[in-house]
Amino acid sequence: MDVCKKYLAENILSEDKVVTYRLLSRALHVHVNTAKQMLYDFYKSQNDRRPGAVHATYLVYGVQKGAGISRSWKSSADGDVEMASSLPEVDPIDDPVSTYTLSLVQEDRLEAALADFESVSSIHVYSVGPNPVKDFSLLADVAQEVFGLRNDDDPKTSATIRNRRVVRKERPADVAPPARQDLQKPALPKSAPAAAAAKVKEEIKPTKPLDSEKTAAPSSQAKNPTPALKRGGSSGIMHAFSKAKVKKAETSQPATLSGDEVQQALSDDGEDDDDEDLPLPKPRGIFGRKTKKEVDEELREMMEKDDDEDEKVDSAEEEAEEVEEPMEDAPEPEQPPVKEEPAEVVTTSGDGRRRGKRRIMRKKQIMDDQGYLVTIQEPGWESFSEDEAPPVAKAKPVVSAAASSAPAAKAKKSGPKGSQGSQGSQGSIMSFFSKK
Amino acid sequence: MVTLDKVLNRGLLQKPSDATAEDSLERSESNYKPLHSFVLSKDRQYQQQFADIYFLRLTKIKPAVEEIASAAWEGTVIGGEAAKRVDRVLDVRQGEPSWVTGTVYMDMHHKPNILEDVAKDRWISASSSVEHYFAEDGTDSVTLEDDSGRIHLVGDALKSFFMVTGCIVAVLGTENANGEFDVIDVKFADLPPQPERWALSKAAPNGTKIETKSSKIKDEDVEMADSPSSKNGSKIAIVSGLEFSGVDTSYSMELNLLLEYLLGEALDSTTQEELSHISRLIIAGNSIGPESKTVADTSDKTSHKKYGYDSRAYDPIPSQLLDEFLSELLPTMPITLLPGVLDPANTSYPQQPIHAAMFPKSKRYVALPGALEAGWLDTVTNPWDGELEGWKVLGTGGQNLDDVFKYVDSDDRLGMMEAMCRWRCSAPTAPDTLWTYPFQEDEPFVLKECPHLYFVGCQPKFGTKVIEGLDGQMVRLITVPSFSATRELVLVDSETLDVSRIKITTT
Repeated sequence: MDVCKKYLAENILSEDKVVTYRLLSRALHVHVNTAKQMLYDFYKSQNDRRPGAVHATYLVYGVQKGAGISRSWKSSADGDVEMASSLPEVDPIDDPVSTYTLSLVQEDRLEAALADFESVSSIHVYSVGPNPVKDFSLLADVAQEVFGLRNDDDPKTSATIRNRRVVRKERPADVAPPARQDLQKPALPKSAPAAAAAKVKEEIKPTKPLDSEKTAAPSSQAKNPTPALKRGGSSGIMHAFSKAKVKKAETSQPATLSGDEVQQALSDDGEDDDDEDLPLPKPRGIFGRKTKKEVDEELREMMEKDDDEDEKVDSAEEEAEEVEEPMEDAPEPEQPPVKEEPAEVVTTSGDGRRRGKRRIMRKKQIMDDQGYLVTIQEPGWESFSEDEAPPVAKAKPVVSAAASSAPAAKAKKSGPKGSQGSQGSQGSIMSFFSKK
Repeated sequence: MVTLDKVLNRGLLQKPSDATAEDSLERSESNYKPLHSFVLSKDRQYQQQFADIYFLRLTKIKPAVEEIASAAWEGTVIGGEAAKRVDRVLDVRQGEPSWVTGTVYMDMHHKPNILEDVAKDRWISASSSVEHYFAEDGTDSVTLEDDSGRIHLVGDALKSFFMVTGCIVAVLGTENANGEFDVIDVKFADLPPQPERWALSKAAPNGTKIETKSSKIKDEDVEMADSPSSKNGSKIAIVSGLEFSGVDTSYSMELNLLLEYLLGEALDSTTQEELSHISRLIIAGNSIGPESKTVADTSDKTSHKKYGYDSRAYDPIPSQLLDEFLSELLPTMPITLLPGVLDPANTSYPQQPIHAAMFPKSKRYVALPGALEAGWLDTVTNPWDGELEGWKVLGTGGQNLDDVFKYVDSDDRLGMMEAMCRWRCSAPTAPDTLWTYPFQEDEPFVLKECPHLYFVGCQPKFGTKVIEGLDGQMVRLITVPSFSATRELVLVDSETLDVSRIKITTT
């Protein structure tokens, strides 16, 4: 009981939130009917102490006056001049249709609403909030929150009415949701270094109020640095790729910046899943709360991911042709920019910069004689210019980016990372942090 | 009249007592046997002509109509001459009283006309937006045709019947000097034979059968639970037009209340016990709201060319909301989902089931392709027929009735449903004005058996009535209102087929 009072007081009085019986039931793991009584008790005790302290909405179910028995089909046949049938008109059985009304009523209109009812079979408090509910869509938002709190294992809240005949199939296609999880998982270790970076930055500029990162830092930092280091160290092979990595990040920068929000949204979800049991920081509804824009961004990112994968396949084919492949037995044939490595002609190395040309594969789309669009790849040369030697060069842009703004750095990395996800490209970013 | 004092400090409006041992309620069983009358084969062709549909329909229904007509008109004397039966429309002779059977064709002013489209070089087919096909000035004409030819029908007798393209009728009268057939009387096939209850699925005699594990695995239909509620009878909930929308959230709270009501979380324990008898939910079309025009902005079509999925052209939120709704409800209740005109299914009748891929969360409840058992979430065709609690049920998402409605100057939608039953055709206006797959082998819209329950979804308002046939058939007709407009839900008693409705309001 104390838990319930505390929860309600915290949420309604301190945080100005509306609590519905369902939310309360999910949060405290009590039966919905108990939750309804708890709400009423809280409402009553608060208003006895100070009238108007909290406001409630009621759910009323019963038969309304005049609506109880209606011969709807007769009224709907109004104006029907032509009778529909030549058959001996069957004496229509008086066909009363009982009508029940389920009504969500605010407390100030409760009395008037009740007067409209002929009989009420059920009434209970639906929600209690600090203010009168002006817009019922606010309550719908709370209901969305409840979706996020679903817990199938809790017998008290999983289903009020059980159905043991339910047929649920674990289909092969169900691998899909876990796959999605995998996609999110890399976000966690990734957010860790990012948060760490933010930490480092905060030491330099301690006044910067980055709430989200502050909260994220301790938890993720605690568990992650060690594995990150280890991974960075073990995957020495990744060093070879890391330069290309940075380059990729640069080229895909505009897109990845837009992916920033999405990535954060994803990692937020991941965290929320972890502390599901804590009632306080509510996980937002998976959708419905998200703005259109966010969703669109997410989708666009998905599109880009597909593109990346296509590229990978393409480049994998390329690699078959490449003869002088320095790491043929490397387990990552999908690393696209590998081919750049061998064909590199450095022309100048003076003034600490490397300039030169390197071979790249260009994609070209042409229409063939049958009118089909065909994408072909042809080798070409691209001039480049980099600071200093390759190993340092790869580190520098990242550092500068991190210095300029930590979230941006995170975004930059998160873009390709999120897209390459489970392909094991994780190592390169880790190696960066291990270096420091 | 209920006052506040009466309800205070009772039930849930009191302190929570610590000793509330809440029993978990058990949902009533749903006895369900879907038929697959309207499923199209996956490798269907669209090359064939539509004429076969009319031919098949006429062949199937004509014998029944002629039987009725012979019984009624045999030996009828008109103007001193006995009326004869004429086999073909072209065999009607001027001045001779006769009766003939054929397909009605309505020529109406506002009816979409393919020839007109071709003449105006209009090839983009958009469904017609006119409210009514008929013209007020009486320029419309009715013709009767069969495989031999057609004849114009005139006469006041026609006005006392609903007439739409595609229904099969017998007309009694004479051909006048203008070559028109002056109609005195009209006959339909009337209701087809009605199967007994439990014709396909096995009845559930109260507790006589002991449930065993093996029987459960072998045959879900036969499986019987000796639930104590079977005496009271369970209820079937029918709702349509949920129209989940990413833009219009004006009724999102009502949708939530609907969910809580069906889940049995709302209200007190007595009512929850009642609600546990709702054994199945049927969603009769339009689960997804109309797409918002703002999303698909076509202004910069040329400047930005994108292949594959374009996120701006499609709003995924409505289907996500629907998925969420279904996945909340499915653990406690089986659901039958019919597509409607707004849903992501094919446009032409019969609409094929909404693909399970639309429901990432709920698809675990969908039967595997090729499975014999119906899925817990059964996405079905529109129209759909099957057996529910032993009753033969026919349901549609509303397009068939909406199209008939455009032909007739009347608001009596139940009357039109009745007429469709008496014509023995659930979609008479297909393929004329209702887009249809060009059937060749079979005409599935012809009612071979009379349903016990016939519901049509996505209608402007609720209505129900019972009609009776000549052989004592009884059909319960229901027009299910759109939830988005009326916030109403229909409950059908599985024993008596009595109907009650639930209104959900917020004030």
